Amino acid sequence: MSLILLAQSLLNGLAAGWIYILVALGLTLVFGIMNIVQFAHGEIYMLGAYCSYFLIKLYGFSFWEALPLSALLVGLLGIVLERFFFRPFRGRFEPSIIVAVGLMLLLQTIAVVGFGTDTKSMGGIIPGVLKVSGVTLSWDRLLAILIGIILVAGLLFLIKKTKTGQAMVAISQDPYAASLQGIDVNRISAFAMVIGCALAAIAGSLMGSIFSTSPFMGTSAITKGIAVIILGGLGSVPGAVVGGFILGLVDGLVPPLLSSTMAGIVGFGVIILVLLLRPRGLFGHE
Amino acid sequence: MNKTARFIKPISGTILVLFLFSIPLFNKEAYLLHILIMSGMNIILAISLRTIATTGQMSLAHAGFMAIGAYTSALLVMKLDFSFWVALPLGGIASAFIALVVGYPFVRVKRVYFAMLTLFLGAVIRLIIMEWRNLTHGTSGLLNIPPPNSLSFFGLFHIVFDSKAPYYYLILILVLISFFFLYRIDSSRVGRTLLAIQQDDSVAESVGIHVNNFKVFAWCVGCFFAGIAGAFYAHFIKTLTPDSFGVLQAIYVVVYMVVGGRRRLYGAILGAFILTLLPEFFRILKEYQPFVFVGTLLIITFFLPGGLVDLPKMGISLVRRHRAARVSHA
Repeated sequence: MSLILLAQSLLNGLAAGWIYILVALGLTLVFGIMNIVQFAHGEIYMLGAYCSYFLIKLYGFSFWEALPLSALLVGLLGIVLERFFFRPFRGRFEPSIIVAVGLMLLLQTIAVVGFGTDTKSMGGIIPGVLKVSGVTLSWDRLLAILIGIILVAGLLFLIKKTKTGQAMVAISQDPYAASLQGIDVNRISAFAMVIGCALAAIAGSLMGSIFSTSPFMGTSAITKGIAVIILGGLGSVPGAVVGGFILGLVDGLVPPLLSSTMAGIVGFGVIILVLLLRPRGLFGHE
Repeated sequence: MNKTARFIKPISGTILVLFLFSIPLFNKEAYLLHILIMSGMNIILAISLRTIATTGQMSLAHAGFMAIGAYTSALLVMKLDFSFWVALPLGGIASAFIALVVGYPFVRVKRVYFAMLTLFLGAVIRLIIMEWRNLTHGTSGLLNIPPPNSLSFFGLFHIVFDSKAPYYYLILILVLISFFFLYRIDSSRVGRTLLAIQQDDSVAESVGIHVNNFKVFAWCVGCFFAGIAGAFYAHFIKTLTPDSFGVLQAIYVVVYMVVGGRRRLYGAILGAFILTLLPEFFRILKEYQPFVFVGTLLIITFFLPGGLVDLPKMGISLVRRHRAARVSHA
């Protein structure tokens, strides 16, 4: 493999990695606060992509207007989901899985019935590619990386420096003790859900503009998202970032060397090994 | 327990089994038998998953182990000319063997992490099947898998697998065998040990139970029956592609078990049976049909936290509350 191809695959992997990270952040927040593996998160991501698509194609918004609007709309959906679907099952693994899977099928069916099964393209954001000594990267992907970095930095700031963020940390450590300190667990859960859904909507919109939208695009996103947060440690934001990087690199480097199926085997194999050595993921703790 | 109550279970059980055996006699409709066969397979998957779940571990690799059984049996028959009747149990044994190999490291991982670990294991199994092209033909799959070899008993009567009815009897017998076996485990000392581990594995360990041995035992038994169900599937559907064993299929098995209620063995049976038949009844709704399935799931999860097995208990408590309300009014 030539050096240029190597650099190219690395960059492609990084771009994919940032999309995984955006999906995974929402999953890890929801898990940290509510102790729920949100299997329907991939469908939220899909809805975000469709939301942007319709805002651009039907209502004539530009991509830059559609992106925050879609994040806002899907974020509001998060309030509904938290209140009516997940609040009763906070911290209970089995029923929350059933509800999440039900929600996943529900949203997917709505998308199939409402939007059709054909893939839709909303067009790229910025046309053209950046060429540096033989390595090409489309501006769209560079933009995805940039937006990813900004959002992760913003989220870290929110968690470390604001009262709400500290309340989230407190709940993820011990919901009962946090509620004794006067933290409204329900309100913070809803907040985490909104942030998670908004991040997924942004990730979906970016993916939808780089590739295309389809009602089934959530399935691969949720698998990657879960892989990332398990690798990094459930509930850990830095873990999600590192996990996303590792999986992005595997997905960038393995396909040109072997095959895309092998990328899956290597990626999941790495996670299984990490879990066997560190049963709570890279950044998770007892 | 009084004398009559003691006989209710075996008698009603016998009547049910006789009824199930007589279905193909008065209804030869292939479609009905087909969905009954499919629900039989899902029943085996759900009750075997329940055995794993009794140790407090949720496996999302059940579709993967079904695939191992299916491919093992199909390949043994197609490439090595094994008889189906040998290949079927070997399919189960192959699944149990893989389960045993990964078992001890796996059971060290707890709760949600275990579920996710098995989710990835299932995904890896499926991807390996896709990648191992010269054996499994990758995504194009195995086609024209032969039906089970015909049986003849003392030259008196022959059973040829050329219609749905013999398959129906075969899966019915497989369901009964696995039910009987898992029921025996459940009501034995081992079953009570598994329950103790589910409640608190460190306490169980402290009273001298080898927790890991029992967890691996339950895991291997569960995977064995998943392999058997898979082997049956291979020779019934006659086509195998890796896509039939995705993550969603594994999640469906969990859904069957939890919706039915995993407190009791018959809960998993009920869940698998009803949720396999339900979508068929609403075929006319076409693409809107998943709404019925999802609606059922959500209603049961919200109103019957223990699953369908809690339905009678819930009914009784509703009647009691109603009576109590009437008394207090009077």
